Amino acid sequence: MDAASGSKIMNSSISEISTRRVTMQRQLTTSVTNIQTAADVRESIRRKQLQEARKKRLEWLENDVRSSQEKFEEIIRGLSAAKEKVIPQEVQEALDSQQELCTLILNNKDKLINDLQQNLKSSDDRYVKDLRRQAEELNLMMERMEDQIKTLTKAYREEMAELERFCLQESEVLVTRDMAEWEQHMKELWDRQLESLEQRKEKVMEYEAKIHSLMLENKDKLSTIKTEQDANSQALERQNQKIQATTTFMRLKQIKEKHDAEEYKFNLNQMYKRVNGLQVEMKSLVTKHSNQARYLRDTSHHLNKDYNRILQQHERVQRKIKHFAVADGRKFEEMWRMVEEELRQLVERALTIDSEICERYLGLAWERPVMPFKELSGPILSEKQTSTDPHAQLFQTEQALQCSQGTMDSSDRARSEAESPVMDQEVSDEGLDEETLTKVIELLCNETGLIEDNILMLLAPLEEEEQTAMKLGSLLYTLGLADQDLPKLAHFLLKYRQEQSKDVSGELRESSDQVAAPIILPDQVLPALKSFIQQNMRSRESSGHSQSSVLQIEPRDSSADKAYWESLSNIIPEDKVRLWEEAENMLQQHLAVLMEISELDTENESLMQENTELRILLQQSLKP
Amino acid sequence: MSVLSPWRQIDTDTLTSRAADMSRNPPGSNPKGPEDCRRLRRTIAEDPLWSLALVPSLSHLCLQSIVRDFEEHPVYEQLSPIQRDFIHERLPSSVPLSVTANLINDGVYWMRCCKQQWTLCDVSHYGQSWKRMFFERRLEGMIELFIPGVTETKTILEMVPLCKNYVKRLDISQLLTPVREPQNENMENYFLGLIDDDEYDGPPMDHFDFSILLEKLTCLEELHVEYRIKQCGLNYECRMFKMSHQDCVSLAMALRSCKTLKVLRLHLSHIDDMNCNLLVKHLLAHPTLTELDLSHNVIRDAGARAVGKLLNKSKLMVLNMFDNEITDPGAEAIAHALSKNSTLVSLNLCLNRLGDKGGQAIGNALLNNNTLRHLNLGANEVTGPTAITLSKVIAQNNTLRSINLYGNNLGEDGGKALEEALSHNTSVTECDIRLTEIDEQIVSAINQVVLKNQVLGTGGISWID
Repeated sequence: MDAASGSKIMNSSISEISTRRVTMQRQLTTSVTNIQTAADVRESIRRKQLQEARKKRLEWLENDVRSSQEKFEEIIRGLSAAKEKVIPQEVQEALDSQQELCTLILNNKDKLINDLQQNLKSSDDRYVKDLRRQAEELNLMMERMEDQIKTLTKAYREEMAELERFCLQESEVLVTRDMAEWEQHMKELWDRQLESLEQRKEKVMEYEAKIHSLMLENKDKLSTIKTEQDANSQALERQNQKIQATTTFMRLKQIKEKHDAEEYKFNLNQMYKRVNGLQVEMKSLVTKHSNQARYLRDTSHHLNKDYNRILQQHERVQRKIKHFAVADGRKFEEMWRMVEEELRQLVERALTIDSEICERYLGLAWERPVMPFKELSGPILSEKQTSTDPHAQLFQTEQALQCSQGTMDSSDRARSEAESPVMDQEVSDEGLDEETLTKVIELLCNETGLIEDNILMLLAPLEEEEQTAMKLGSLLYTLGLADQDLPKLAHFLLKYRQEQSKDVSGELRESSDQVAAPIILPDQVLPALKSFIQQNMRSRESSGHSQSSVLQIEPRDSSADKAYWESLSNIIPEDKVRLWEEAENMLQQHLAVLMEISELDTENESLMQENTELRILLQQSLKP
Repeated sequence: MSVLSPWRQIDTDTLTSRAADMSRNPPGSNPKGPEDCRRLRRTIAEDPLWSLALVPSLSHLCLQSIVRDFEEHPVYEQLSPIQRDFIHERLPSSVPLSVTANLINDGVYWMRCCKQQWTLCDVSHYGQSWKRMFFERRLEGMIELFIPGVTETKTILEMVPLCKNYVKRLDISQLLTPVREPQNENMENYFLGLIDDDEYDGPPMDHFDFSILLEKLTCLEELHVEYRIKQCGLNYECRMFKMSHQDCVSLAMALRSCKTLKVLRLHLSHIDDMNCNLLVKHLLAHPTLTELDLSHNVIRDAGARAVGKLLNKSKLMVLNMFDNEITDPGAEAIAHALSKNSTLVSLNLCLNRLGDKGGQAIGNALLNNNTLRHLNLGANEVTGPTAITLSKVIAQNNTLRSINLYGNNLGEDGGKALEEALSHNTSVTECDIRLTEIDEQIVSAINQVVLKNQVLGTGGISWID
């Protein structure tokens, strides 16, 4: 209701505004067009006037023409009358009247022309005035138009603003109304929904209770039926099982009998086959063994031969070395003697020069300086005196060589002999059997823990034999032992064990001798190994000493040599050298003085000659 | 890295794919969607001032090059509307019209061209078409500055194929005459009035020949011509403001050949009866002409008679003979035509000299006419009797909407008759009776009736519904 009335009010107000606008527009346009219409009217009036003026003018002209025609005719008549007149006075009179008439006509014409010109001027003026007025009117019109435009735009603006306002109001009203309606509807909707929701909830509760009771009933019924059926089924099952058990037992028995018979037969056949296979294998192994034995014999023979040959070669080389050593010694000696001789001569010469200097230039008594080495000849000579002869020396070296050969032949034995007399009898047993050796090796490898973990890791994928070989290699390397030392080590270990056991009890000794028994206890391996290494180091040092002493021919004592040569160089002492230098300087000065004297001598001579010449000249001048 | 390269890597894949997209699909309809964009590699600016917004896209560059080489390689038809807009905004107006005229459709480009040439541009006068405005005004300018005998007609004829599809109206406000060498003797004689105008035998003073142009403008609907010169200064000659016989012949032929013309305005051209007759003769069977405006001329009764003949031989709806010299015989002829006519809607005989005889003739003719809506007989020296006949018409006729009788001495009787007639009428919404010496009361009564009729007339289509 409100909105309807509002819109009505609005409509009326809008129409009011529009009518106002229309009237304004109309008024303004009429105010503009008024000028135009006025101008048009004036124009039409002007035209009318123009037409009238034209008409008037035409009338004038016609009147004029008529009057002038009459006058003209009068003149013509007058002229014709004048022709008839004879008397000069009359003629003169007529002429005068004629002239008068003419001037009248002329005057009339002039008047007309004047009138017309005046008319023209006035119309010109009016035209100009009209133009001016029209211009003014145009200006006015323009002004009014502009005014109109301004006012109209203003009016339009106002109208638009009004309209806008109204529209806004209307829309607001509509919006509020719609909102209210909307809210009302929403409220209704919510209420209805809440109601329905509550109803639904009640219904749900009801149905739930009903369902629950039904479920309980059904469950009871079901359980009773189930128990009955269970009992029945159990009885039936039991019967069934019994029957099954009897049948299966029978069947199993039969199957077992059959199976046993088959198995026996099969086993027998397999045994036969195996026996045959083993026989064949045995034959092949026998032949293989014989082949292997033959091959080994041949190879040992070859190796023996090779060995002998190499021994001879070695001997030859030794002899050559000896020979060269003797030759070198001799050569050295000769060289020595020669150099010494030369030196002695040089010394002699130096001494003579010295004596000469002393005696002749210095005038001093010269004494022969003390020279101990003159009596004591060089170290070679003294050596010669100590050593008996070269032959004896040769023999000595040969012996040494032989000795070293012997050690090489059976180094193990020799060393062990040198080291410990306790081991003697065991070592002479020509080594140990292979098995013990391998066992020892394995023991060493596995128990000592000397091998690093990463090596073990690396070796893991290899086969066992290879593993042990590698381990042994690394072990020996770390302990600083050679391959040859291995059996020795084994021996030592055995011995150690025996010694230990001896200490503990004598009964165990028998068992320890047996091969099957453990060679050594694992926990004793480490101390045993330690002691062995110590021993080994000692023995090696000693053997190294012996070997080196045997191989060296003779050590040269070079310290004595140095002293000897220095003593030779100091034959002329430092003081003497300084004395010599002084003497040289003095002599140089002396020589310089002498040179000067000789020069002055020559000068003197020349002066003397001049003097004589002058004297002669004087005399000659005095004479005349 | 050097400063010269603004980005580290130019993603050629992206560029080519983008270009391909551009060519295949119009931008915006990318079928792959946004995840495609995310998949593309990113270019990272090493120049801190660099931003993706400043880097022109490849399509942008392409369009720029198109604009640059538009004269040699005009590419327009293949482009999408957005790209066309781009070209519209950037194409220089110096590109020759032979390239652009028939290629570039109406739009911003033509607006720019127009605004560059003319300061006042009211596009609403040209059917909201900038292109039409450009070509019409250009052609008008060429014709207005055409000097017969000096300017070659070729210049205008060359323009015709470019603009014939767009020119609908030609509003020619001046036509120049041939240049004449000043001939002192003759001029002196001329000014002394020794030589009559008609006897002067100088070169012909004919204006531009429309026959070469109008038949080629296939879309022309309106033609406004004024045979005059706007700023002649001291070189005034009477002939400059006059339509010569030759002009009339050529224009008549041209009008006949122009089959699309609807509106013809020939005002301020000093058209006399002879020229009017000639024009009417050629316009008699014109198929489309609906509006004829011969205002501000010197047409008299003979011309009016010819126009009256034209009224019934064509489909004229609007006839404007404002400010001529028609008197009662001419008015009678027009009235005769009017009584048989069923097409004319508006008749304007304002500022003539019809007189009561002519006015009564027209009034009587309107008794038999049911189509005329607007009648203007202002400033025509009609008086009471005409008003009385017109009041009869008003009482009887329901088609007449506006009557204009201002500036006539209608008198009291006429006023009363009109008031009485209007009191029975509901159709007349405009009645101008200013300066008619009618009594104030009657004028106000008539105005009220007219206002009432206006309200009634607008009531039917009121927006307050």
